[in-house]
Amino acid sequence: MDKIQTVKPSREARHDAPLKVTGQAKYTSDFNFPRMAYAVPVCATVGKGKIRAIDSSSARAMKGVLGVYSRENIGALYRPTKEASMDYRIDEARPPFEDDLITYYGQYVAVAVAETFELAQAAAKAVKVSYVSEKPKLGGKLEQEDLKKTDHERGDAAKAFAQAEVKVDHVYVTPTEVHNPIELHATVAHWTSPDKVTLYETSQAIHAQRNVMAQILGIPRENVQVITKFLGSGFGGKLWCWPHSAIAAATARKLNRPVKLVTDRHMAFTNVGHRPRTEQRIQLGADKNGKFKALIHDYASQSSMDDEYKENCGEVSGFLYGVSDVKVTSGVARRNQSVPTAMRGPGAVPGLHALESAVDELAIALNMDPVALRILNDTNDDQMTKKPFSSRHLKECLELGAQKFGWSKRNAKIGSMKDGDEIIGYGVAACTWPARRLDADAAVEFTRDGRVKISCGTHDVGTGMYTVLANIVHEETGIAKDKIDVELGDTNLPKGPIAGGSMATGSVVPAVVEACKKAKKNLLTAATKIQSSPFKGLKDDEIKFEKGLVTGKRGGKMDFASLLKKLNMSSAAGLASVKGNMAAMDKEKFSTKSFGAQFVEIGWNPLLAKLRVRRVVSVIDAGRIINFQPARNQIEGAIVMGVGMGLFEYAVTDARDGFIANANLADYVMPVHADCPEIDVTFLDYPDKEANAYGARGVGEIGLAGIAPAICAAVHHATGVRVRELPVRIEDLLAT
Amino acid sequence: MQSFGYKKAGSLDEAARTGADGIKFLGGGTTLIDLMKLEVERPKALVDITALPLAAIEKQKDGGVKIGATVRNSDLAHNDYIKKNYAVLSQALLAGASAQLRNKATTAGNLLQRTRCTYFRDPSRACNKRVPKSGCGAIGGHNRNLAILGTSNDCIATNPSDMNVAMMALGARVHVLGEKGERFINIDEFYLLPGNTPEKETVLQPGDLITAVSLPALPAGTVTSYLKLRDRASYEFALASSAVVASIQGGKLTRLRFAMGGIGTKPWRNPEAEKVLLNGGTIQDAVAFFLKDAKPQSENGFKVELAKRCLTHSLKNALKA
Amino acid sequence: MSEENSKVSRRSFLRHAGVAGAGVAALPLISNAQNAPPISESEKPYVPDGAQDVRLNINGKNYDLKIEPRVTLLDCLRENLNLTGTKKGCDHGQCGACTIHVNGKRVNSCLSLAIAHQGDAITTIEGLGTTQKPHPMQKAFMEHDAYQCGYCTSGQIMSATALLKEPCGKAAGDVREAMSGNICRCGAYKNILEAIQDVRGV
Repeated sequence: MDKIQTVKPSREARHDAPLKVTGQAKYTSDFNFPRMAYAVPVCATVGKGKIRAIDSSSARAMKGVLGVYSRENIGALYRPTKEASMDYRIDEARPPFEDDLITYYGQYVAVAVAETFELAQAAAKAVKVSYVSEKPKLGGKLEQEDLKKTDHERGDAAKAFAQAEVKVDHVYVTPTEVHNPIELHATVAHWTSPDKVTLYETSQAIHAQRNVMAQILGIPRENVQVITKFLGSGFGGKLWCWPHSAIAAATARKLNRPVKLVTDRHMAFTNVGHRPRTEQRIQLGADKNGKFKALIHDYASQSSMDDEYKENCGEVSGFLYGVSDVKVTSGVARRNQSVPTAMRGPGAVPGLHALESAVDELAIALNMDPVALRILNDTNDDQMTKKPFSSRHLKECLELGAQKFGWSKRNAKIGSMKDGDEIIGYGVAACTWPARRLDADAAVEFTRDGRVKISCGTHDVGTGMYTVLANIVHEETGIAKDKIDVELGDTNLPKGPIAGGSMATGSVVPAVVEACKKAKKNLLTAATKIQSSPFKGLKDDEIKFEKGLVTGKRGGKMDFASLLKKLNMSSAAGLASVKGNMAAMDKEKFSTKSFGAQFVEIGWNPLLAKLRVRRVVSVIDAGRIINFQPARNQIEGAIVMGVGMGLFEYAVTDARDGFIANANLADYVMPVHADCPEIDVTFLDYPDKEANAYGARGVGEIGLAGIAPAICAAVHHATGVRVRELPVRIEDLLAT
Repeated sequence: MQSFGYKKAGSLDEAARTGADGIKFLGGGTTLIDLMKLEVERPKALVDITALPLAAIEKQKDGGVKIGATVRNSDLAHNDYIKKNYAVLSQALLAGASAQLRNKATTAGNLLQRTRCTYFRDPSRACNKRVPKSGCGAIGGHNRNLAILGTSNDCIATNPSDMNVAMMALGARVHVLGEKGERFINIDEFYLLPGNTPEKETVLQPGDLITAVSLPALPAGTVTSYLKLRDRASYEFALASSAVVASIQGGKLTRLRFAMGGIGTKPWRNPEAEKVLLNGGTIQDAVAFFLKDAKPQSENGFKVELAKRCLTHSLKNALKA
Repeated sequence: MSEENSKVSRRSFLRHAGVAGAGVAALPLISNAQNAPPISESEKPYVPDGAQDVRLNINGKNYDLKIEPRVTLLDCLRENLNLTGTKKGCDHGQCGACTIHVNGKRVNSCLSLAIAHQGDAITTIEGLGTTQKPHPMQKAFMEHDAYQCGYCTSGQIMSATALLKEPCGKAAGDVREAMSGNICRCGAYKNILEAIQDVRGV
């Protein structure tokens, strides 16, 4: 093995660490205002039908209840523009209470607003809604009812598959998964004048939230300010506007009081999106040496009745391996369920469960090592876009991962490896995630009180944006980090990108660097031009800015704060706008993607029917890693989420009427601390200058990709049972 | 939550006097407050009994122990006498819930823990236990976590407690203060099968106050253990659990009680299955006898096999001594 | 402990909160601004029917409130006293985000009634340490990056500090089990474990 470059571990507290550990970081529901009222929605208890009547008399009779609102009296709420671009993106476009139709269980039908939370909650429970109930369309095999399309085609995949010497052909299923960030979705709506509102939102996309909410409320976009200072994570579930925001804003406007609406955990399952169920057929064929010859990926994902959200499962099938003949087809199956939305690694994560499981099954059919099979089918070109990869080190990920994991100790025979009563299984999967850049504006300002302020209307959702930006400006200016302020999460700031798709860091950093350079330049220019300056008359190359000090060639040194005072300036500022590449991906010369390899060890104790993920080794090729500790943390956390995806998580719909039967954190099983395996994460160190000036491709999603199929491969290795429908449950293994 | 009155009881007599329909005693609140938020429970008033002198763990002269009703689960689990003499109880308690919930939950509250059946917990669903004669949403619905033993056509809800399984295996006695003074109920008679009245879960009468639970002294050479199986590694209710209390003297099994959780409509014990082993039968026979009446629902058929492995493992471990 | 009594309303608390916010300014400031309008002294908190006088001792200070019996300790802290460091994640004892100490023991504040805790010593994250003088556990969480989004962090830290006084074995597995009542959806468990073991000197 050639020497593989890896990132050296480093450790440093986050910029926002003191606020987070003392409870002072302000999350949306932490904002309290004088005269604030509380709103609690009422949810439909049928899966399909019509509202017959809403009796709110007993709720309204409660002293302290300010109002009960529904389709009868909520007033005008408008449908927003719905477009795929991120400026007007919304997944559930129907404004709340628009009509009396119920298309999914849990749909908001009314809201109670009261002086206290307790009163609002009791009042909401006291609202009696009667329905004309119909049999909802639920369950069954997912047929591609509409939007059936060919996502990608090259060569003649059907013919190549027919001719392949060794092949596998199976259907893989991923269930409905729920983001369940621990912070509940919330809105605090505060009208500062009759047509101006400030919305404190749990948002990963404040600008889209502003645009959409302005339309829903029918007021000018400039009159909506959206603020998200700290977000209790989102995983995609807090990207786009959900109906509770409109309910909070509308009731606040009606009552002329600030209104706080915090959704409850049940609503996290029904009113704010989920990753939809997918059914994916993979036909993968190879020659007898293991060279892939044909890949057919045909899938359907579930959507709601009114809005189409498609889980783009086939995206990675087009480029992960070198295969001459490929066909990817897809469609959406409509059900009476709430609207799905993007969840961490949308498309790729469920798609890779299918593809990488099929690769593992093919390795077995070929009697080949699954690591070797993947390396054999590595490619330097993205065969889908016919462009070279800007930087692809999947092979190194697999090789280094195998070495760190101890893959060579694997005895391929099923059930052959033991540790006491436990049967050990090893599994591997490759993973990938595209790198894209979004438009980003940012400002950097040196102020006369000796501080540097960075402003960008983007978000820190736990990814470390506050820290990344402080560190970058520290690197650019040499100014101590405790003199650097970062302001994010406000639509009044320069427009920043969404916090999603692993794109924010790579998009914002270049803008901040550019703004910082401009601010420095503007300061130095002023210093050479203004009469009162000690540096007056110096040429551009005779003055420099270092560690917060301005130094002239002919001697003279002054800290920037004193200089600003001398110059009668409040600050020296720079504003930068850096374009992304989302709008014109086809014009890019390279295909920029991150890659990785996930190695998993499971233990199955048949005596106790106990299945545990014991160990995970993850090697990630994501370009430059700007902040090691938070980046590693993200991969480790994604692996924990992957344990949940592999072993525990699925939302249960009662097929009789759409009732979500495990809509709480006791019954929707997510990994607790005791489920956390031993984790070893390594980052390869190959900065990708094609991705952006900093060479960073982002690490938000890729850690989750590949974990579930690696778990399934390991389970098969231990037990001989191939689980194709996630999660792997105890009942799947009791025959062993 | 609907509004309610609140009173902290100053004495046992006062508490006993206030007990009536619509009034609930508040201990740790981990079940009660939870269900009040869901409006499954809608008491008119709460009588807080945590200030009453019911929080002691008292060793009895005969070697047994009396556990006060408001002893917190964590205090009970970490009590030295309990750990030494009733390890199964300590293990069962520590297998349940989380450390912070165990710091709140009380002994009597745990005895009266309500089912986790999702249809019971949601007032918009049909549930005979919550509203008699309203139907059962769980039969034919989501019932993976529900019971395979002791079910009826009206109810298949599981008793979710870990502690109760240990109490059953230990042969606990429940001390109750009622209208006519104090009385004692053997744990074997404490819980009711759902039958066609699943709303009645225990033999307690309205107003009855549990004051303590006592455990008999166990003979020397007694081995006890608790085993819990579930999906994730912690903080989850049991899919199946087993508690075994076995006394072996002179190499001979002289006394045996075992019970299972997560699979029955009450903490499940079957004395006839114990007799199989006491009469020299095999573990395999005893387990098969224990589970012979198992009636799986649409999603929980695997529990028969799971329960078999759980109980077999526990008995093997206990009896190898 | 010297006790400072204060008669509070939700409104006057907002002003206190503003002052507390200023204490953070010495830190690398991350705009935490409240944008709250000035609060007039004349505004009285709403007193619902059935409200009772309740005195709570929180972080060594007495608070006199008029609240209904159904107000949970969690909502009382957050909505009546503006002590918003304690978080709501599930409201049913299923996540641990609301963990606080009552008489030194960790409990879920969402399943506790405020009225039932008169006379108890209640400690919240705000009473544990400050940005200037953090508790060793808060320091360790910073050093080990034992969070991502930070939302469950107050609960994690309150659990972790309580654990220091509980009978918990030294092994990683013992800590993992003892910390399983606090779900971290970001999955920062590995770093949380390291932070706790660091403080315990294990």
